Amino acid sequence: MSARVRNLAILGVVALLLVAAGVGIATQKTILGLDLKGGVELVYQGRPTAAQPVVTQDALDRAVEIMRQRVDQLGALNPDIQRSGRAQLAVALPGVSDLQRAIRLVGTPAQLVFYDWETSVLGPDNKPVIDGINADDPTADAISQGGGFRQTGISLYAAVKQAAKRPASKPGVRLGPQYWAFAPKSHSFLAGPADTREELRGLRGYRAGAQVLVIQPGTVVLQAVTGKGENPIAGNRPQDAQWYVLKDQPRLLGKDVKDPKQDFDGGTGGTGNPDVTFKFTGTGRREFQDVTRAIAQRGQNIVSQAYPKGVNQNFAIALDNTLISVASIDRNQYPDGIDGANGAQISGSFTIQEAQDLAQLIKLGALPINLKLISTSNVSATLGKQALNQGLVAGGAGFLVVVLFLLLFYRVLGLIAALALGVYAVYFFALIKLIPITLTLPGIAGLILTIGVAADANIVIFERVKEEARAGKSVPAAIAAGYKKGLTAIIDANVVTIMTAFILFILATSEVKGFAFTLGIGTIVSLFTAVMATQAILGTMGRSRLISRPSALGAKGGGRRITFDFMGASRWFFSFSGVILLVGALAIGGRGLHFGIDFESGTRLQAALTKPADENSIRSLLSPLGYSDAKIQKFSNKQFGSNAFQITAKIAPEKVTRVRDALASRFGISSNARFQAQSVGPTFGQTVANSAVVAIIASLIVISLYIALRFEWKYAVPVLIALMHDLLITAGVYSLTGREVTTSTVAALLTILGYSLYDTIIVFDRVRENVPRMPRAAFSQIVNRSMSEVLTRSLATSFCTLLPILALLLFGGTTLKDFAFALLVGVASGAYSSIFIASPVLTHWKERESVYVARRHRIEAEHGTVPAYPTGRAGETVDLDSARPVSRRGRLTTPQEETLSRGEFESLKRDLVLDDEPPKPRPARPAPRRRATAVAEPPPEAAEPRPEGNGDGHAPDEAENDGMVARPPKPKKPRNRRHGRNR
Amino acid sequence: MGVLAWTMMGLALWHFSIFLPDRFWGGIVGAFVAALLGAIAFGFLVNGLSIPGRGATHLLTALDAIPGALIGMALCYLEGARRENASAAKPAL
Repeated sequence: MSARVRNLAILGVVALLLVAAGVGIATQKTILGLDLKGGVELVYQGRPTAAQPVVTQDALDRAVEIMRQRVDQLGALNPDIQRSGRAQLAVALPGVSDLQRAIRLVGTPAQLVFYDWETSVLGPDNKPVIDGINADDPTADAISQGGGFRQTGISLYAAVKQAAKRPASKPGVRLGPQYWAFAPKSHSFLAGPADTREELRGLRGYRAGAQVLVIQPGTVVLQAVTGKGENPIAGNRPQDAQWYVLKDQPRLLGKDVKDPKQDFDGGTGGTGNPDVTFKFTGTGRREFQDVTRAIAQRGQNIVSQAYPKGVNQNFAIALDNTLISVASIDRNQYPDGIDGANGAQISGSFTIQEAQDLAQLIKLGALPINLKLISTSNVSATLGKQALNQGLVAGGAGFLVVVLFLLLFYRVLGLIAALALGVYAVYFFALIKLIPITLTLPGIAGLILTIGVAADANIVIFERVKEEARAGKSVPAAIAAGYKKGLTAIIDANVVTIMTAFILFILATSEVKGFAFTLGIGTIVSLFTAVMATQAILGTMGRSRLISRPSALGAKGGGRRITFDFMGASRWFFSFSGVILLVGALAIGGRGLHFGIDFESGTRLQAALTKPADENSIRSLLSPLGYSDAKIQKFSNKQFGSNAFQITAKIAPEKVTRVRDALASRFGISSNARFQAQSVGPTFGQTVANSAVVAIIASLIVISLYIALRFEWKYAVPVLIALMHDLLITAGVYSLTGREVTTSTVAALLTILGYSLYDTIIVFDRVRENVPRMPRAAFSQIVNRSMSEVLTRSLATSFCTLLPILALLLFGGTTLKDFAFALLVGVASGAYSSIFIASPVLTHWKERESVYVARRHRIEAEHGTVPAYPTGRAGETVDLDSARPVSRRGRLTTPQEETLSRGEFESLKRDLVLDDEPPKPRPARPAPRRRATAVAEPPPEAAEPRPEGNGDGHAPDEAENDGMVARPPKPKKPRNRRHGRNR
Repeated sequence: MGVLAWTMMGLALWHFSIFLPDRFWGGIVGAFVAALLGAIAFGFLVNGLSIPGRGATHLLTALDAIPGALIGMALCYLEGARRENASAAKPAL
């Protein structure tokens, strides 16, 4: 396939894809994340149970399935449940505003348990009350006949303390020990329950010196049946309830019932209140009859002073550590037990909604694992819409400034690049709709960043094209060479970005996943549009008058050769970095880092108030609620207006509504929608930090391996040092400025890992290219030459990436600004470290190699010192392309059909005639300096210090050159200099 | 947080090793490793074999790393110089 046909084919594919993308955009809906649409996000940590001792993938899958069905009850639009990290589930519920109901429905274990009351419930002496009844113990009688209500219960501390005295026995529902913390003197509740002592220490409310009580497996404490108005599903304030201690010996479980539904307690003697009715499965029915028979017969057999004719015994139903009902079994009416054919009912002080929810929970079954709520987030729809607008404005502004930069800097080439950027934007938007990708704020940040990445690829190629054009090549030849030579660096740089995005996606929390996904997909799409599409466009119009002259490419004149001694000045750049890091280290020590609630745990509320308020008045409102230590800050922005407050405190997720209601009643909340809440548990912060550390280590390993494979292992070490430099400088800047470190910051830091390599790879790619080309130069000279050649492009790519980041910083909302600030510092530091840290480190290290020691000695012997740039014989370069043995058969007028079409051949001939001077006779002097000096005048090898460690006395990378010296090529026809490298 | 401060200080001091003749064992990369290991090891030692957490990290914690980094680089330099001298003293065959 000829180049023209290939280009046309690519353009055809681009056009077809554009049409398809247009159709996709027009027909598919964009799925917005809850940060853009408003809604609730709940993050849970999976915990084992007695029935599921290990949290397996299968158990998580089953939990997700049950949760998905529960979520449907909330009426959430496009709910999303994702796994993140180890055994974590993130539930996004766009459009849902009732946080409390969402918590109650989604993550409630819904473990329905049936106990034989008298043989399970324990008296103060830790013996089953049945023993006390037989011994005429009035306390035991009271517990037995108390119906499980609070009157016969005991305080939480007393219950836990009593339960803690029992030894471990066979577990029933709960698998491991349970930890509780109480104040040492007042015995007031502090924290719990937790599965481990460490987890207990991390819970809000825990403090050093707390009395920790441990309940061993085999014993449970259950909250008493609650009264009307209290939540029967989850006890909000455990210390306010009364409790019972029971042996953990369930007789039936939730899996033994079926067809639960909300009903009313009707019929004779019925209260008319909402209740839940259900039926039993086959096994459940038999077991129910067996247990009720045992209870009835036990009631008949009791003969005590208090009950000479026996007494009815009870059957308890508990849901998730709360007694729902303690029902009496009539020993006379049901001496043979109750046939479960007609099912049973759970009566309680339910509202209709609560009874419906309970029925639904029982119907869907218990979760196979326990889920611990570790983070919640609640965003109003209004704020989500505003955040979306800000993201779109930032994206549009980023796109425009990048296009302007490309047009100004590269003129016609810039126009083509801008066109490719437009195509990229359309493709990417279509992919977002078609995959579909849930668009979140971090995702928008990733999208905007990829605009810079896409433009960078064009810059790398265009700079190379300009270089080739300045070297004397015709415009079509320069374009072909530019793409061919620039592609390696682009692929290397983008592969590293994609790998980092992949690691981020695998390991990061759900919020960061969106960012990583868009970054990865965007980078892949940008490779297609920025490289293939632009090449096809340029290849097609290569002979048009529009780009017939180098000036159209911005390559007028010979270009300005930079002669700065980068390596010589490196000590000053090192000193500069050293001072910045020194200040950063002192700042980290003295000021530390300001971690946000993502790491600290707690709740952050943001509310726009309608009535005038100040920090004191809000504190006076919060103090009675128990949040006197809340951090209250007034702030103003477009989203919230000027009378907005941020409250950060240890507020439990289920208390957020209470605080909001209090604020609304005292100060009013603007349109009731300008309210945002985010709660993070201690486990979540730890998970974020751990996953960040793992992601950083994994990224560094992968990057090192890739660089070692693609370059040389010695190139990987300076890269790692430069990355470390970038990350630590960013940390230092965060410490100095006191900016809050959030999960967004972590994501940005991980992106810096991938992105700051871009410039380093560009520089190293050129060094790699120049090493065999400059076989007599010192390594510092090679690096100086390489740096002078790529400095413009390195600066241009960094600048082009910084443009959309600046747009994010200026126009984005709070989340986007978090990303943008870290990226701004990291990318700027990355550009600096590529040139002034990584390259000097590589130089210093490579200069120790024997071959470069020998070259340095030789140059010093010749010049007295090592010049910054190679001069004289050290500056001789080898044209590697022409140095390779080429079989030249046939005549000029005979095209090689297998490699060149006749059309292309004719085109080439035209090019030669139009662009080139007629060939001149071969000059009498030695052939062109660059290649022929070595041929005509072999170097005096004996006079040079020979490199060590090579059997034949030649350095490994001198083989090609030495080969030329030992075996000069056959005399060739003089080549036109515009088709060779000319420096 | 303590390790972060020590690492930053070690890295900061390493940057100034470029003013010394390149006689470090392992070159500039050897000096880098020595500075970081020295900074962290010394900080760990003077803090009673513990790493200060966020609450316990202060200005002096960062300064703890300075002697360690300098000692690390000095040892690396001395070892490099010793090897260089030993190599130079070998008779040429």
